[in-house]
Amino acid sequence: MNKRILMTFCFTFGVGAMISLLNPTPADARIKLATLPDREAVVVRFDNPNVVMVEEERTISLQKGVNNVDFSWAGTQIDKGSIIFRPADPAAKVEILSTSYPPGEAALTWQISAAEAMSVKFRLSYLMANIQRETDYRMLVSKDEQTCSFKHYFKIRNWSGGRFATADFVTRDGKKFEKGLENGEAKRVLVNSWDKVKLTKEYVYDLTRQPEGKVLTDYVLKNAKEIGLGSIPLEYGKVRIYQDDGSGTTAFTGEDWGRFTPIGDDMRLNIGIAQDIKIEMKKMVNDVQNRRGNVYDTDEVDEYEIKNFKDTEAVVTLVLRVDGEWEMKATTSGHDSFERVDNETIRFKVKAPAKGTPVKLRFHYQKKNVW
Amino acid sequence: MIKTSWCLCALLAVLAPALAAKEELVTLPKRDKVQLTIYNSVDLTLVRETRALTFKKGNNRLQFSWANTLIDPTSVEFRAVTSADKIEVLDTSYPAESHQMLIWTISAESDLSATVEISYFTSGISWAAEYHGMLAADDSSMTLTAYVTVMNNSGEEYEDAQVRLVVGSINLVETIAGLAGGQRQNQRMEEAYGEMRKAARAADADRKKDIVKEGLSEYYIYTVGGTETVPNAWAKRLESFKQAGVPVRSVYTWDTAKYGAQLCRILTFKNDEAHKLGKEPLPAGIVRFYREAGAGRLGYVGAVATNYIAKNDEIKVNAGSDPEVTLKITRSSHKKENLSFAFNGRQQFLQGWDTYDQFKLELKNFRDRAVEFEVNLVFNGDFDFESELAATKVDFRTQRYTLRMDKGARQEVVYKVRTRFGTNARK
Repeated sequence: MNKRILMTFCFTFGVGAMISLLNPTPADARIKLATLPDREAVVVRFDNPNVVMVEEERTISLQKGVNNVDFSWAGTQIDKGSIIFRPADPAAKVEILSTSYPPGEAALTWQISAAEAMSVKFRLSYLMANIQRETDYRMLVSKDEQTCSFKHYFKIRNWSGGRFATADFVTRDGKKFEKGLENGEAKRVLVNSWDKVKLTKEYVYDLTRQPEGKVLTDYVLKNAKEIGLGSIPLEYGKVRIYQDDGSGTTAFTGEDWGRFTPIGDDMRLNIGIAQDIKIEMKKMVNDVQNRRGNVYDTDEVDEYEIKNFKDTEAVVTLVLRVDGEWEMKATTSGHDSFERVDNETIRFKVKAPAKGTPVKLRFHYQKKNVW
Repeated sequence: MIKTSWCLCALLAVLAPALAAKEELVTLPKRDKVQLTIYNSVDLTLVRETRALTFKKGNNRLQFSWANTLIDPTSVEFRAVTSADKIEVLDTSYPAESHQMLIWTISAESDLSATVEISYFTSGISWAAEYHGMLAADDSSMTLTAYVTVMNNSGEEYEDAQVRLVVGSINLVETIAGLAGGQRQNQRMEEAYGEMRKAARAADADRKKDIVKEGLSEYYIYTVGGTETVPNAWAKRLESFKQAGVPVRSVYTWDTAKYGAQLCRILTFKNDEAHKLGKEPLPAGIVRFYREAGAGRLGYVGAVATNYIAKNDEIKVNAGSDPEVTLKITRSSHKKENLSFAFNGRQQFLQGWDTYDQFKLELKNFRDRAVEFEVNLVFNGDFDFESELAATKVDFRTQRYTLRMDKGARQEVVYKVRTRFGTNARK
């Protein structure tokens, strides 16, 4: 028969083993006398991109027979449906018989059957809302812009109403750090650091990214071992970029959002506009050909004049788009290389000499079967 | 503890000549046994309770009242379990001054004690299924635990009740909550009650410590072992079954009609013996997936709602997208061919053409293990499909690729689609 022992652990005050003289009955009639077993080994997991899971261990003294164990979480943001309660040792001679939910309370009661009087370590898991996580990066680029150091920070902010005197926080890539975190408190922790990472700098003309036709400056990091990264997928986050100014200090050179970058993929970061490279586009030919009723072809030449006012040569990437059915003509000139990215997109690389000497990309193409 | 809001009063006095007399001497026989049969498809619970009553020879009045509950007055029935041949219900009166009371006039052949059963429908008690799937670290199998949760908002506390849960969809012509509020009964309602009562009685099972599942007509009845007390406004969750080692298949699926324009990880298993299941259908409910995270710890994968899963049926659960497994489709070329023209007087105009598109399907597996893909491509109109890699025709407009890719692998598949328009279209 029921031992009428009600053990309660209240989230906000720690765990409680509670002796009650009453069965679990409605909220207004619950009289409790509790001892409060300590929380042990708390783990806060961020491996799911959308939710935060908390796991804690508590040692509870059980009497032989059926015990009632109460868990309440007033003032905290625990998802009731997600709660899992189990003995840490699956071989423990205990059985969880039922879970009861009282009305109007952030609480539940487990009925636990114990083969004998004993202390059992239980593991309690639940999803907790309002623990925010944020990833950010700090990139320090060498003066010659060939390499960088790349630091990965993990920031957590606790608005859940719960307190973590000490807990292991586990990031998505399995990195673990131990911290305390009060309600309302935020902490930012350096979780990964990579030095001498090779980076690529690109000057990009792309009207879909910069409609005014200004040239963007991008850094491209391949998340791969060969450049010094590639140990974990890089989470989405803000990247603040600094550069060694050669005199022992650094200068902030821009920031961008780094998208989630799996191992082997590229992270492209825009640090701003390349003021010293100018591109002017002119349409030089726009003829209609081969008219058949309401169908025709076109012959078009777009000319891009590129001026690089820097002291050194620069390679400029022009990402150009043409809709519909079209083909590039062999008379296209002025480029170093090109790649047809997809039907609508072509990417040219053009070497722009130093000190403002203009170079022209002459993009000659024919649109077909236009109507 | 909530006080019971209704009482059963055996009026042992010989039938008084008129109901107007208010002086009554009553005894309050306790419930000996109560059984709840709870339906999840409608707001309906059949309550059957037995009590021991003492009758005097002649006519006895038995009062039954249910103030502040959600009992349907049209459904209340009296039945003698013992001495049935010596007891007869002569009439049932519904006093004008109370809408939540009735009085049976019962004739007894002699002074006797009998066990009687009173049954009725109430609304406000419901149940729901819930599942936890504990996935192995490699997603290849799981431990599936099923729960049932009974919620009691009926206004009444049923102590030590045998609880039975009905899986299936029954037809009701009027809602119990509406009838509890005083709506008139009708003949069809009574017929429906009669059928359900018969079904519920026929499904009586011995008490067991676990939850016993039995098929009945188009329904399944889960009988919870032993008895349960669910106080009013409380909910109680019980384990229905637990099965370890259920094989699970994880397939990254592209199916815009079902899952929108994203690659989703679909977890598949069957409710059959090969998957260590199949003993009973699985009622609709929330499935929460967790994954072993080492050292007995758990990581959260996600939650989805499932429909009713019949025995031997397959279950597909969308566990959401995974940024480490990607799919990208790009159109690498587009041509218009086979243009045909017609004349309207001297004016030439286009009447038929084909588009001939080449697509590149890029699959990347950044995970640290091999994964399976199922890519469903849907095309409209009169089209021909050409592919380097063999595809399966799912229906007249859907082609499917199934692939397996090692960890870290990338694969490109090129396919071409010719679509005929205007007078070129053949269908």
